[in-house]
Amino acid sequence: MDFSIRAANVEDCKDIARMIRVSKTRAHVRTERHLEQDGFSKNPFFHGIVAEVPEQHRTKEGHTKIGYALYFYSYSSWAGRAIYMEDLYVMPEFRGKGIGKALMSKVAQLGLAAGCNQLNFTVLDCNKSSVDFYLSQGCFDITDKIGYHCMRCEGEALEHLAQP
Amino acid sequence: MEYKLRKAEPKDVSDILRLVKELAKYEEMESQVTLTEKDLLEDGFGETPFYHCIIAETPGENSSDEPDVVGFAMYYFTYDPWVGKQLYLEEFYVMDKCRGLGIGSGILRHLSDLAMKTRCTGMMFVVAENNQPSVQFYKRRGAEDLSQEEGWRLFRFDKDSLVKMATPAEE
Repeated sequence: MDFSIRAANVEDCKDIARMIRVSKTRAHVRTERHLEQDGFSKNPFFHGIVAEVPEQHRTKEGHTKIGYALYFYSYSSWAGRAIYMEDLYVMPEFRGKGIGKALMSKVAQLGLAAGCNQLNFTVLDCNKSSVDFYLSQGCFDITDKIGYHCMRCEGEALEHLAQP
Repeated sequence: MEYKLRKAEPKDVSDILRLVKELAKYEEMESQVTLTEKDLLEDGFGETPFYHCIIAETPGENSSDEPDVVGFAMYYFTYDPWVGKQLYLEEFYVMDKCRGLGIGSGILRHLSDLAMKTRCTGMMFVVAENNQPSVQFYKRRGAEDLSQEEGWRLFRFDKDSLVKMATPAEE
């Protein structure tokens, strides 16, 4: 199937928000306005790429933007510049056509162009098809290999920690 | 013990690298540190910094001595499309001889305050599960282990795999 990948622009936030809502099950998700502010202002906190199909392949609701990846630059105190892929999503009816692989390849290219030595991301262990896909592409599971656990401090715990 | 926290400056890169290597040694992975002072300088103090750093220092032995750099935290900002900006704590270390004096707690407090001021909804980091003193230090302060509680696994493509993946497939 014919498709193209390009950098996301502020007009894509509507479709990105749509795909985030469909792909996630949590009730609260960033609104389109948050994505616009956080991704497309002078100091962006993330970057995006979008996969599009030609008009003749649009979905029955009329969407041509059918996949996306969100990423940002991070840093490893051991290995230096790194790129973190926060989200990778392709709408179900467009899977199995190499679009996910192409999106990830683009993130890898962007990372290498910026001098990055690693591409990091997280996957839920119950998402077997994703885990298998990533392992087949040559990555390794750091949680399994080195025992690194992802931790978060938020809400009241964060406020408490900030108290003098 | 009297200590001071301040933003890192270019002159601090040699102390930062020294402390990075000390922490890596503690985790028995010293050989994995390939970063150089030049990388730290370019990546942290250029036009678009990839990281930010705060330094903890204590007074020198004599009043005329330079202060001693005894701890640091390296962090940057990340994004979760569900809940927004996060402060990501990449590295956090206080020298052995200065532990138990409140310096670590002071650094964490400073960073949490910074996270709130910059409208982050959370602070994130990774810890090795066999580093129980650190795991307990964070859990006591309210951190959740997302790997344990929600099943998140951290995956990585290293440089060779990255290059392979960046090469477009033959159609």
